[in-house]
Amino acid sequence: MKISYNWLKEFVPIDLPIEEFCQKLTMYGIEVENIIHFGDEYENIVVGKIVSVKPHPKSDHLSVCLVDVGENKPLSVICGAPNVKENQNVPLAKIGAMLGDFKIKKAKLRGIESYGVICSEKELGISDDHSGIMVLEGEYNAGTPFAEVLKIDDYVIDVEITPNRPDLLGMIGIAREVAVMLDTKYTTPKIEFNPDMSGKQLTSELLSVEIDDPELCPRYCGRLIKNITVKPSPGWVQTRLKAVGLRPINNIVDITNYILMEYGHPLHAFDYENISENKIIVRRAKDGEKIELLDEQIYTLSSQNLVIADNEKPVALAGIMGGVNSSILSTTKDIVLECACFNPKNIRATSLSLNLESDSSYRFERGMDPNRLEEVIDRTAQLIQLTAGGEICKGIVDVYPKKILPKKVFLRTQRVNHILDTKLQPYTIKSYLLKFEFTIFEKGENFEVTIPTFRPDLEREIDIIEEIARCYGYKNIHSKFSLPRIEDRQKRETIRKIRSHLVNLGFFEVCNLSFASPDVFDKLNLPKDDYRRNIIELANPLGEQFSILRTTLIPDLFSNVALNLSHKLEHFKLFELNNVYFKNENNLPSEQVSLTGVIVGDFVPKYWNSKSQLSSFFDVKGILESLFKILHCTHYISFKKSDEPFYITGQSSDVLLNDVKIGSYGILKKDVLSNFEIKAHAIIFDINVSTLLSHIPHEEIYYKEVIKFPPVLRDIAIIVPQGISVAEIETTINSFNPEIIKNVSLFDVYKGSQIRENHRSLAFSITFQSDKSTLTDKYIDKLFDKIVKKLLKKYKIELRHR
Amino acid sequence: MKEEIQTLRQKALEEIPICKNLKELESLRIKFLGRKSKLSSLLGQIGQLSKEQRPIIGDLLNQTKREIENQISERKDALLLETQKKKIVKQELDISFPGRPIEIGAKHPLFKIWEEIEDIFISLGFEIAEGPEIETEYYNFDALNTPEWHPARNLSDTFYLKNGMLLRTETSPVQIRVMEKYKPPIRIIAPGRCYRNDKPDASHSPVFHQFEALVVDVGITFADLKGTLDSFVKRLFGDKTHSRFRPHFFPFTEPSAEIDILCINCNGKGCKLCKNTGWLEMGGAGMVDPEVLKQVNYDSEKYTGFAFGLGIDRITMLRYGIHDIRILFKNDLRFLQQFV
Ligand SMILES: [Zn+2]
Repeated sequence: MKISYNWLKEFVPIDLPIEEFCQKLTMYGIEVENIIHFGDEYENIVVGKIVSVKPHPKSDHLSVCLVDVGENKPLSVICGAPNVKENQNVPLAKIGAMLGDFKIKKAKLRGIESYGVICSEKELGISDDHSGIMVLEGEYNAGTPFAEVLKIDDYVIDVEITPNRPDLLGMIGIAREVAVMLDTKYTTPKIEFNPDMSGKQLTSELLSVEIDDPELCPRYCGRLIKNITVKPSPGWVQTRLKAVGLRPINNIVDITNYILMEYGHPLHAFDYENISENKIIVRRAKDGEKIELLDEQIYTLSSQNLVIADNEKPVALAGIMGGVNSSILSTTKDIVLECACFNPKNIRATSLSLNLESDSSYRFERGMDPNRLEEVIDRTAQLIQLTAGGEICKGIVDVYPKKILPKKVFLRTQRVNHILDTKLQPYTIKSYLLKFEFTIFEKGENFEVTIPTFRPDLEREIDIIEEIARCYGYKNIHSKFSLPRIEDRQKRETIRKIRSHLVNLGFFEVCNLSFASPDVFDKLNLPKDDYRRNIIELANPLGEQFSILRTTLIPDLFSNVALNLSHKLEHFKLFELNNVYFKNENNLPSEQVSLTGVIVGDFVPKYWNSKSQLSSFFDVKGILESLFKILHCTHYISFKKSDEPFYITGQSSDVLLNDVKIGSYGILKKDVLSNFEIKAHAIIFDINVSTLLSHIPHEEIYYKEVIKFPPVLRDIAIIVPQGISVAEIETTINSFNPEIIKNVSLFDVYKGSQIRENHRSLAFSITFQSDKSTLTDKYIDKLFDKIVKKLLKKYKIELRHR
Repeated sequence: MKEEIQTLRQKALEEIPICKNLKELESLRIKFLGRKSKLSSLLGQIGQLSKEQRPIIGDLLNQTKREIENQISERKDALLLETQKKKIVKQELDISFPGRPIEIGAKHPLFKIWEEIEDIFISLGFEIAEGPEIETEYYNFDALNTPEWHPARNLSDTFYLKNGMLLRTETSPVQIRVMEKYKPPIRIIAPGRCYRNDKPDASHSPVFHQFEALVVDVGITFADLKGTLDSFVKRLFGDKTHSRFRPHFFPFTEPSAEIDILCINCNGKGCKLCKNTGWLEMGGAGMVDPEVLKQVNYDSEKYTGFAFGLGIDRITMLRYGIHDIRILFKNDLRFLQQFV
């Protein structure tokens, strides 16, 4: 629903900036969807004072006017209207203004420049008058915004009214809610009729009303106004209606719409002359009965639909739309005002079955207050008299067979506090209840609450508690179950990822105790100053071989290998993921998670279709690379030669993450293995997971648009001296144009008789791909040549073939 | 002429069914039905016969021709089917050959259970906390309200380090560390490794694993403790079991209790596993002692809490029917391979 800020302020004082007010409204349960500054469409349209009018030298119907718009110099404007005169105040659309969809620009008419447009009422969307320019009456300063002249400088607040709150479908309803929200008072219009124009006759003498089905129409009020004049509404009515999105039609229809938006209650006006025998009957339609409604459609009704009828014919579809046969025409003199209440379910059913919705049905199907009809109908009569003249006949006809009484609900203070976890005192609750216009009867610390009939949504104790919560403010209710973040989720998830990954690759997890024997370091060939000798000693160990806390998982894993080899198992993979412990002077010792794995014997098991394959250095490297891939840190990992003393020289590597060593892997020396009584081929990897975790960059998966353009593959084979590493060559190629070189991979190594000594032939496959266009052969040839040249120059290599 | 035809027919019906392949069949077709065949020449001679003989012999010839044609076509179908069958047999795989072995390892059973316990508590809204295994006497004993005289402090019970620190005897010190650092509400479990100076035997290991649960907030009661523990054991062991609480003494909880669960093996009837008691001992629990709360500067009037500690090794052994704790740490593949 659209709220006019000006209109609203007529009923409730608001002393807040619009944004703050809207923010409050939203937090109070009336969600603001949009704020429009009404009058923006008249931006750059101002009051101009015509200084002079001269005929255009090259045209007999155009004039050249100088118009003062409150700026340094008057503007020169060409005008074609016959009624333009000096000293007139006119609406002037300056350059940049919008007239409908048309944007005003500097223009040249028959050789003379024009810096704006003097507007007609039609151009401004005020009326259909295009006979001449609009001339403003009264005194204005040149340059006054035109929106101010029209008094349309207003904010229109578009709000979402939840379907349970029909009471909020008008300005007064919103004002009532705002008054509670801002802890202030709201007012309603003062209703009085012009005594000089009061009719002498009683409405009840001129009109009778009969309700056939009180179930579908609990109450019907009618009022008669005679001798009105149907004409366009005054500007203030039109402005308000336009602001809330309604189209002005004539004063009678406009006033019923005005009341619709003011009180939120739909009304209807009939032409009295067309009500036969002055009798209104509210009845179910006859099956097959037809009526033409104001949308100029003919509807066939059934007994499920309720109509307003006279003795002969239906004159309106109750609560939804009036009929053509009784509508207000320019010739209408006497009118019957209808202000009634209809059954919401029936209105919804009729609206659905006829596929017909209106502002009226929208409200009636949500439920209107039956106990305010007198006030609404009198207010309507007052405004009709004000805008259309006429004599208001005395009294109303009011048929209300069974008065609808307000509901009563019992509210317990303890229950309120139990639901909200508040400590509200009965007197606080009482003050809230009174704000909502509930009638209350105190019973100890509890209340018997009488709910006004304009709130059909409130039926139970819990409904009242919601109102109290809103009044107290959701933000004032403390939040209880807000747990502090304690866990190191990244660590836990990383450990689980590693464990699952290795298990899926065929590793069995082992779990050893934390104790170690001090002689393991010598068995591993560790030098005296090795960091792993930085041990913590137990004061009361179970024995010498359990007297220290382990600083590496390798020795225990070796014991596990020896044990399982003794069971005639030859090929297996094991890993352990557990803490190691280092002395840390003056502090708690450092406990670090370590990952150690071992592959014994074959990497690929024997199979009838292929041969077994002894595990190699590159098998382990592949495992580690896959691990880094799932940990999303591949790009930060590098490898360099290791000098760990338990590996065979030249067959081992350190692993670095952002240049920090996080571990190593390699083929074990025979003597080290025999120190642990292992007679088998074994390769290990040893990663410090704690160091890895503290250096790993945080990288989330984020989808990248797939590249539409096809990749192009090129192979290159080069003869390279032994000293130059594959990684170095790959990096060189990659760095050449990383935008386009998506992948470089080694696919062949050759060291045959055709290759010089201390040289080898390396073949790489390069993938080129652009995310901007399809790469042409010519482009790739050129790039490829450049790469070759650079490689030749940098490494003094030979090109074998391409 | 009749006889000639009969002989011809006889011959064809004998030779066609035994021919071995399509090529042979084709030459037989030419032999019996071809332009130069006996049948063709006999057909050519019909004109020379008498008026009476002509239709009789003609019919016979045509009938014989049709018969031979049918024979050939039948034989052709049979031969085709045979070839196809042979081809299929040639392509056929011996599907009983083993598939390519994809090696799959296994998590250590202790860590399988460890992860399962974590997941149950995460689903109950808990966080996973951790603390050091190497502790000070303060966190392991003093802050947990352990009296000076308590036997747990003895060298025969606790491993001490040469630097004066010790190896934690339970995961309870994590309680203190968490409460020192965070304000309520607290809702954690802390799984981890603990140590006791025990000689290893079937039910004791100097290194064992435990998890601690701690909940502190306004309005936490003994009933919350019972409900939480029951929810946990039912999720872990199934809905048939439930827990019971026996009064006991722990320095840092008051009231304290030992927790038993209804034997998961016999459902309470009594068996070897539960030593005929119908119940299995699981660990200790209780309401956090107000002294402990004061120790970490919590308002012990405002806040209450519960804690319990259960053995992960014990749960693992119960779950998998392992009778000797030492098997867990032996790392024999014949054991580990059972947990794939
Ligand atoms: Zn049992």
